[in-house]
Amino acid sequence: MMVNWMPIDKDIISDLLSRVQKPARYLGNEWNSCLKDHDRVAVRAVFAFPDLYEVGMSNQGLKILYECVNSRSDLLMERVFAPAADMEDLMRENDLPLFALESQEALKDFDVIGFSLQYELSYTNVLNMLDLAKIPLYSSERSESDPLVIGGGPCTFNPEPLAPFFDFFILGEAEEFLPDLLAELGALKGRCLNRNEILSAISDLESIYVPSLYRPLYRDGVLCGMEKLDSRPSDVIRKRTVKDLDCAPYPTSPIVSYIQTVHDRAVIELFRGCGKGCRFCQAGFIFRPVRSRSRKNILETAEAIIAATGYDEISLSSLSSTDYAQIETLISEMNEVFEESKVKCSLPSLRLDSYSVKLAEQLHQGRRSSLTFAPEAATERLRKVIGKNISEEDIFKALSDAVAAGWQGFKLYFMIGLPTEKDADVEAILTLCRKIRQHFKLKTGRSLKIVVSVSTFIPKPHTPFQWEPQLELSEVVNRQQILRKGFRNMPGFDYSWHEPEASLLEAVFARGDRLLAPLLERAWQLGCRFDGWSEHFSFERWQKAFRDLNIDAGSYAYRRFNYDEYLPWDHIDCGVSKEMFIREHRNALIDESTRRGIS
Amino acid sequence: MNRISFSFARKLPLAYISHLDMLRLFLRALRRSRLPLAFSQGFNPHPRLTLALPLPVGVTASEEYGEIYFTEFIRPEDFIGRLRPQLPEALELIDAYIVRPEAPSLASRIEAALYRAILKNGFEQRLTAESVRDALERLLAREEIIIQRKTKKKKTASTNVRPYIIEAVVKKEAGKPMELNLVLKAGSQGGISPVFLLEQLESDPVCTGISAHDWQLHRESIYVNNDGILQPVSEGM
Repeated sequence: MMVNWMPIDKDIISDLLSRVQKPARYLGNEWNSCLKDHDRVAVRAVFAFPDLYEVGMSNQGLKILYECVNSRSDLLMERVFAPAADMEDLMRENDLPLFALESQEALKDFDVIGFSLQYELSYTNVLNMLDLAKIPLYSSERSESDPLVIGGGPCTFNPEPLAPFFDFFILGEAEEFLPDLLAELGALKGRCLNRNEILSAISDLESIYVPSLYRPLYRDGVLCGMEKLDSRPSDVIRKRTVKDLDCAPYPTSPIVSYIQTVHDRAVIELFRGCGKGCRFCQAGFIFRPVRSRSRKNILETAEAIIAATGYDEISLSSLSSTDYAQIETLISEMNEVFEESKVKCSLPSLRLDSYSVKLAEQLHQGRRSSLTFAPEAATERLRKVIGKNISEEDIFKALSDAVAAGWQGFKLYFMIGLPTEKDADVEAILTLCRKIRQHFKLKTGRSLKIVVSVSTFIPKPHTPFQWEPQLELSEVVNRQQILRKGFRNMPGFDYSWHEPEASLLEAVFARGDRLLAPLLERAWQLGCRFDGWSEHFSFERWQKAFRDLNIDAGSYAYRRFNYDEYLPWDHIDCGVSKEMFIREHRNALIDESTRRGIS
Repeated sequence: MNRISFSFARKLPLAYISHLDMLRLFLRALRRSRLPLAFSQGFNPHPRLTLALPLPVGVTASEEYGEIYFTEFIRPEDFIGRLRPQLPEALELIDAYIVRPEAPSLASRIEAALYRAILKNGFEQRLTAESVRDALERLLAREEIIIQRKTKKKKTASTNVRPYIIEAVVKKEAGKPMELNLVLKAGSQGGISPVFLLEQLESDPVCTGISAHDWQLHRESIYVNNDGILQPVSEGM
């Protein structure tokens, strides 16, 4: 196959490993990892995750694609993660290029590098990884010997801020498509097509977005459309969806990490998509429609995963697992299958109702430590606005049931900065928590351990709230202050919040257009990395980048977009129409005004 | 209840994981092997597995020891036969034998360990065996070597670790890298990490610039106290 352009001195790698924290992040060679002979496959790909190993190894997309690509004898897929700061320094000092974990070959020597784009605050890591790999950042600057740089994951539903850095994106679910696509890329290369010819040739395939074939049009500085530069691709790119989960590839031999990862357990997906339609939740829209795995498939797959990994816990994963149609039967069947081997089954987060608590009760035979719920907002009015229709009575009933069943703590998720939110709604979080505490102190005589995690609302593309402005930074700080003061006087509560500046950036990039690409590059040059990690995040550096490029963050995050304006992601079709989002957005605000009329 | 003690070697890539990671690795391998694990009692039952004397991260070992309980009788050769295919290459299962249920745990009998510190490539020219020997002598001549340790209550306590250094010698054979042989006290009665000793050595003017990770550390054997005599575990089996 290809000549090795960038041979790596493996002694250097081994020496660096003895000098860094958590060297196991860079070892590869874990149980169920797959090392193939590079000379015996047609196409070599790397799955690149722009965050630490522990985070990336918890990503289900990685496990799915790794196993389904490597099951083909003509293809191979290796992995790479963002090196931590200490490793990055040593790599630069020793001029060691970024290498894939399995073969320790340089990324530059692969055919395809596929980035998993899960959250906006990992974008600077994408650039840093390309730079460490000595691959030109911009698609337009890459030569024929460079790999194709592609992207997938939720962020590709508005990939515009990243567009110039990527050769193409795949929108939606790639597991039934990627192996064939990789083989096709190899075939096109074999026919001596150059990069541009290859990109043009695949640009008309469903779910493929080649950004260099589209040019955004601006009128008076305002985005007004997309011009196609090639006749092949379609005007609107449709996401790809798996029709039947039972037939789609699912990993039964996922890699078992040496070190503890964020989600260090087996995972079986019950269904994909979510029928709830909470108006702030992007996942609820981009993963539609709801598709269920059959109980038979779930049980067989779960057993196979446990046999191949030796995990002692399996998570029944979905956006809202307790909504699985035959969940009760499933749980009792799972308990039966795993009784002897003492494998625990767990649910990621629970709907706030008694039924869900009952299910959790059936699941956990062991110690009952804590349950996770997401009321999101503390007043019924605001919950109605965001489409989370649960009453305060539901909340108390569910919590009471959980306490009665022996749980000793809860984790509660709230959001601030939601559309139509007032200070009173924020204070209501305190009131609700105070009530919960009093209620259970009276009832049980003991106080519960309650963790309250409050994030900041971010208007996301492809949601009814995509037009909504984000709450301004100073106001977010004020509302966080209300909570911080309130919780200071409430023992038993552990309050945590998101860095407001980081949430601002997240909104900027979630709703951004291509003009943000140079900003991203500038921020990276200034040293921004791991922006999602508070110990690395530097707002000062970002502010300097915004100033240097004369870009106003507020025009992206704080501006109310109009229904009739062209949105940066209007050429991306997530399967839900703009009309439906407008209708839902209007409904949210009508809910609000009718409620106000009554009171 | 069946109790089995086993020994294993730990080679390089696997030296980079922590003691807890190692426990998890064994547990998962044991689960994959479908051997009949015995679980502890209580709300959160867990398999009864212990690994003696945690190894510092980055250190390889010739002979480590573990103990595990099963619900039914397992022949040591079956234990090895079923577990071995579930372990990574860098973890080599050496031996296994049955232990009487009432016997004291191996961990409680450990007294000391022998480490080898092998100077990595590229430092040979900067150090002679004689100068390192002198530096070691200077270190061992001290009556006290004080180490600050964090106690459980977030306080620090100072300990004199000089008595924990039983032996420290330099070895240099022609054509081979220089190495130190260190016999250090270890186990529940107190002990020190070889990394600490190498750090102390670094502060000697002769060794300036040669840090602890310029030596590849290896644990050669673990010693137990057999009627007042230090003896490698393997000899007492």
